Amino acid sequence: MPVAASAIYFLNLRGDVLINRLYRDDVGGNMVDAFRMHIMQTKELGTCPVRQIGGCSFLYMRISNVYIVIVVSSNANVACAFKFVCEAVALFKSYFGGAFDEDAIRNNFVLIYELLDEIMDFGYPQNLSPEILKLYITQEGVRSPFSSKPSEKPVPNATLQVTGAVGWRREGLVYKKNEVFLDIVESVNLLMSSKGSVLRCDVTGKILMKCFLSGMPDLKLGLNDKIGLEKESQLKSRPAKSGKTIELDDVTFHQCVNLTRFNSEKTVSFVPPDGEFELMKYRITEGVNLPFRVLPTIKELGRTRMEVNVKVKSVFGAKMFALGVVVKVPVPKQTAKASFQVTSGRAKYNASIDCLVWKIRKFPGQTEATMSAEVELISTMAEKKPWTRPPIQMEFQVPMFTASGLRVRFLKVWEKSGYNTVEWVRYITKAGSYEIRC
Amino acid sequence: MALSGMRGLSVFISDIRNCQNKEQERLRVDKELGNIRTRFKNEKGLTPYEKKKYVWKMLYIYMLGYDVDFGHMEAVSLISAPKYPEKQVGYIVTSCLLNENYDFLRMAINTVRNDIIGRNETFQCLALTMVGNIGGKEFAESLAPDVQKLLISSSCRPLVRKKAALCLLRLYRKNPDVVNVDGWSDRMSQLLDERDLGVLTSVMSLFVALVSNHTEAYWNCLPKCVKILERLARNQDILQEYTYYGIPSPWLQVKTMRALQYFPTVEDPSTRRALFEVLQRILMGTDVVKNVNKNNASHAVLFEALALVMHLDAEKEMMSQCVALLGKFIAVREPNIRYLGLENMTRMLLVTDVQDIIKRHQAQIITSLKDPDISIRRRALDLLYGMCDVTNAKDIVEELLQYLSTADFAMREELALKAAILAEKFAPDLSWYVDVILQLIDKAGDFVSDDIWYRVVQFVTNNEDLQPYAAAKAREYLDKPALHETMVKVSAYILGEYSHLLARRPSCSPKEIFAIINEKLPTVSMPTVAILLSTYAKILMHTQPPDPELQEQIWAIFKKYESYIDVEIQQRAVEYFALSRKGAALMDVLAEMPKFPERQSALLKKAEDAEVDTAEQSAIKLRSQQQTSNALVVTDQRPVNGSLPVNQLGLVRMPSQNMEASSHDQGLTKENGTVSTVDPASTQSADILGDLLGPLAIEGPPAAAVSAEQNMVPGLEATPDAAGALALATVGDQSNSVQPIVNIAERFHALCLKDSGVLYEDPYIQIGIKAEWRAHHGRLVLFLGNKNTSPLMSVRALILPPTHLKMELSLVPETIPPRAQVQCPLEVMNLRASRDVAVLDFSYKFGTAMASVKLRLPAVLNKFLQPISLPAEEFFLQWKALSGPPLKLQEVVRGVKPMSLPEMANLFASLHLGVTPALDTNPNNLVACTTFYSESTRAMLCLIRVETDPSDRTQLRITIASGDPTLTFELKEFIKEYLIMMPASTPAAAAAAPAPAAAPLQPQSPITPAGYNDPGAMLAGLL
Repeated sequence: MPVAASAIYFLNLRGDVLINRLYRDDVGGNMVDAFRMHIMQTKELGTCPVRQIGGCSFLYMRISNVYIVIVVSSNANVACAFKFVCEAVALFKSYFGGAFDEDAIRNNFVLIYELLDEIMDFGYPQNLSPEILKLYITQEGVRSPFSSKPSEKPVPNATLQVTGAVGWRREGLVYKKNEVFLDIVESVNLLMSSKGSVLRCDVTGKILMKCFLSGMPDLKLGLNDKIGLEKESQLKSRPAKSGKTIELDDVTFHQCVNLTRFNSEKTVSFVPPDGEFELMKYRITEGVNLPFRVLPTIKELGRTRMEVNVKVKSVFGAKMFALGVVVKVPVPKQTAKASFQVTSGRAKYNASIDCLVWKIRKFPGQTEATMSAEVELISTMAEKKPWTRPPIQMEFQVPMFTASGLRVRFLKVWEKSGYNTVEWVRYITKAGSYEIRC
Repeated sequence: MALSGMRGLSVFISDIRNCQNKEQERLRVDKELGNIRTRFKNEKGLTPYEKKKYVWKMLYIYMLGYDVDFGHMEAVSLISAPKYPEKQVGYIVTSCLLNENYDFLRMAINTVRNDIIGRNETFQCLALTMVGNIGGKEFAESLAPDVQKLLISSSCRPLVRKKAALCLLRLYRKNPDVVNVDGWSDRMSQLLDERDLGVLTSVMSLFVALVSNHTEAYWNCLPKCVKILERLARNQDILQEYTYYGIPSPWLQVKTMRALQYFPTVEDPSTRRALFEVLQRILMGTDVVKNVNKNNASHAVLFEALALVMHLDAEKEMMSQCVALLGKFIAVREPNIRYLGLENMTRMLLVTDVQDIIKRHQAQIITSLKDPDISIRRRALDLLYGMCDVTNAKDIVEELLQYLSTADFAMREELALKAAILAEKFAPDLSWYVDVILQLIDKAGDFVSDDIWYRVVQFVTNNEDLQPYAAAKAREYLDKPALHETMVKVSAYILGEYSHLLARRPSCSPKEIFAIINEKLPTVSMPTVAILLSTYAKILMHTQPPDPELQEQIWAIFKKYESYIDVEIQQRAVEYFALSRKGAALMDVLAEMPKFPERQSALLKKAEDAEVDTAEQSAIKLRSQQQTSNALVVTDQRPVNGSLPVNQLGLVRMPSQNMEASSHDQGLTKENGTVSTVDPASTQSADILGDLLGPLAIEGPPAAAVSAEQNMVPGLEATPDAAGALALATVGDQSNSVQPIVNIAERFHALCLKDSGVLYEDPYIQIGIKAEWRAHHGRLVLFLGNKNTSPLMSVRALILPPTHLKMELSLVPETIPPRAQVQCPLEVMNLRASRDVAVLDFSYKFGTAMASVKLRLPAVLNKFLQPISLPAEEFFLQWKALSGPPLKLQEVVRGVKPMSLPEMANLFASLHLGVTPALDTNPNNLVACTTFYSESTRAMLCLIRVETDPSDRTQLRITIASGDPTLTFELKEFIKEYLIMMPASTPAAAAAAPAPAAAPLQPQSPITPAGYNDPGAMLAGLL
């Protein structure tokens, strides 16, 4: 495997080093100064995630208010490096209780050093699974060997875990109540022309699970996806049920999914890790149900006035509703003020992002809302460049709705002891980059 | 300040300061800008206080580096506020945010003027400060009299007058006409009597600017300046607050001395004595001390004094004192001082005759060559270069050569060039020169430009005594391992020509020489291969009686290269092969190269050009240039035995047999079925010339050179083309003794399409032109540059304007001083449309030669056009409104120079016709709109449509419409002219056409580019 990193740095937005770890000695300790000088303090930042300065490559990404910079001097595997960073961040988040920012790093120096030692060796990524690492890197106090009370729990055998057949699950778990939570989270990406024709549209979805199951359960998940259904009807030698089937593209599974069974039987069966994990990811490009339609009309009246009219229609079921709907209508930089009339929600002009921001907290299905605004512009000295008319952006969340139409048909749990389980299934659709040209 | 009262502003500033990062800051700024926009939009609700506050915020945002492109109106409007705080903001923000190019600054002129003529001093100061910072031409025109009044009024406080002087300086720089030369010299001399040092310092700044433009007018101020210096340096009669580290107002001292340098000499003996006394005092009283600031100040004064001393040609004694002082400086540890010392010594050297004194410091200077600081090393090198003469040349060049191997890479090229120049200039004997150059190439081959070895070859060719020595040396060098390619070139060339002179020496038989040269063949680059092939041919020729073995070897090589990828080498191989089979005829064809005509060294020229490029227009530099060029002229007169005139340039010694040979050869080729009439002999010679002479042949009219070379084409026909190119050149009488060195017609056509460039150039004068056009007015400036070291006399320029132009040429001076450039503005006004061209009748006298030319001035129809773009609907409306002749004319034009539509669009754009794409649905058509300005028509819209035929590019139909029948006609004819002849390319083609014919082996003949590039470079230097 190629090297992924020679050193890793965590910087705050000002460029101060919060924490760093050198894995190989082929880069100098001051290389991060080059990063600060040539990338952070120039406009280069955010243009390209990989830069080469003075024989070293800098791979960086920003997570909340922290820059994570990987420095390599050899021909490294960049994809591996970025995957490593993502996984490391997920790991830190699970240790810190969800947050990963400058303060979290400052509060957990020792822990981070410990983890950094563990997850990478001489530039080669190691085990990054939180479940396993939590077995032997704990945040609890150290028990003194002279302590009178013997330990309640046996010391977990990490080696066995890592090398065992089911490396992601500990044996001997016991829950009083056996529960499985399954969330289907989809985000819709859309680019629509001003005339309403769809230029680009896709859905990226993931299935998140949270398992609180005793023992070593075997789970089997059935979706209304095309391949699975066809295979099933083939096996059972009966015609496929009429109804909507979904074609999933680019499916990726968590390592716990038994791929041989997936290949032969097209069913998703797995022994889940304990706790929360991402079971699968997929993408859909055909037959997307758009939750919202947006009809903008923007008129420029002379040099100093503009009229903006935006109508938003919800096209999902009448019983459902969307939450946190935000419509951002871009306006020219020289906007002075705007007056609004809205049928629901609240709108205002935000000068820092040069947008009219219209927020609706709750948007029922099969309804529509309009905003009309009059925008006044100020005359400027700069040469009048025609306004570029950036697209309108939209944010929303629609619970219990999937833009792809994906449904869970069954989720079976089988365990030796044959206990009863409770399964919870949720659906939610969010806006990815939902853009409408105007 | 008033800021403390503005909470909003201080809150905003503290917000910004509390921002963690740039992004937050940007968000905060954008929010604030949005807020300001909102506030400015409802103008009614804005109190003066608020307005002031927001304008301050705008300034703060601007200072943070964000674009503030609105609200300028508010800032300007605050200028007219009655209260000081608002007015102050207005003035400050206006002078920060705006510059003179903003049109609406004009609106503020009146308010500013009211403040200037008002009685309130603080307002006056604010107004003067703003005008002094951003005042433009219009300000100059309307405010100059008032500012002058303030400056000379006795009732004003010094504070105001100080600012008025600086303000007037700005206005003068923007428009020199605002200060009337005659009236001002008296006032200036009064002003220089000023007792207040603050005012005096400002006035002196103004005076320096004035005197630099009109020295003669201010003669009467000279004694005053000396008085001021006396007062400062001798009497020290000034207030405590004007001393800086105990030095009485160093700024004023420096400025005064700078002003004095603009006067050619100081004639009045008593003034001169007084001045020298002061200078003496300054020279004596300055020393290196501990305090850096004091050092800086006193050295500033000292170096200015040195400059003045040099300028005044002081007595030898004083000069030696200066040099002694500088000698002390260059021995100091402090690098800055050492740098200044070296630099000033170099300057001193150029101006005065102090070489002997400077030579005493030679050792010290050579030590400086090893200084860790590269800028000091460079200065030292310059100085060594400057102080070199026949007596110390050997030492210095030796030193430079030694230093070369350890020198910085950044310096090596310069070092190599300088060493080569010195060796050439001051060589005690020529064999030493050859030694030095060969050493140079050996040590720093990468940094030796081709010019250097060309020069060696020239010398060797021209000096028969030198030839055996050079050949022996070259042979010696060939024995060395790891030879630089330049060395291979020069050795191969010299051995090719003169190896037969070595025949009796050991290991110098043709065979051995061939073997050792041939060793290098596989490793060298293509140009060198070409030279090596020539060398082989020459060796073959010199081997008498022919040695069959050698012949075989060489022929094998020629054969091998006959199919080489490079055409040049291929051709050489083929031709040499064919030639070498001729036996005896070979002797004549490949005879020894003739002597080169004596010409100024390309190296010296190069060095000279470099000096001109960096020259400032200061009095000292001007003089120093003269000095160096004189030196070059002197050193260039080297005794030569029988030099050839220029136009025989490059002819191979061609006895009558050669004609037979070539005709015989021609017959041969014809027999072979080829129609080519290229004579190998002549091409070969032109080709070697190309190698050797091309880059050197900078002097002499290129056209003549071209035609001369053309004569070598077999049959020796005179080519009418070349003559034609010359005939085009002058409009008027041909009886001129002075020939232009640029193609006048071409220059004229080029200038028709652009606004600045060279109009005319001959060996004595260069006329450049720079034009500005605004509606139907135009302003041309003629730059008359004297290229020589002696003045041009009885200069006369007469404009012969056509009826449609009104032209006014300002006075042209009778004489143009040496190496100077005179600017003559020419105002043009267009009355109506016409294609007639104005003519400038220009004449001058140089020595006894009288020259006169008639030049067409590029004030042509298209200069009064302004491209516009019309929206489709409006275009069609106008197009329909103008129907039928005479307002709309259509014509089918044939014989058009074929060009693609984008080319035509480019041509139109350069003619100021605004091509509007996509107006016509047919992609083969071109539609353009433009506005024509003249006094009779004012702004007149012209519409042009060109329909082309994609199958036949030589014909097209053109339709022109405008509101004026004459204009329509004239414009149509005008465009037609351009479409048919396309002057931009024709002259170039005419010039280029002979070149390939003359040197078919050399795709880019270096002669032509050198000739044409040169004037441009000259102009750039002069401008």
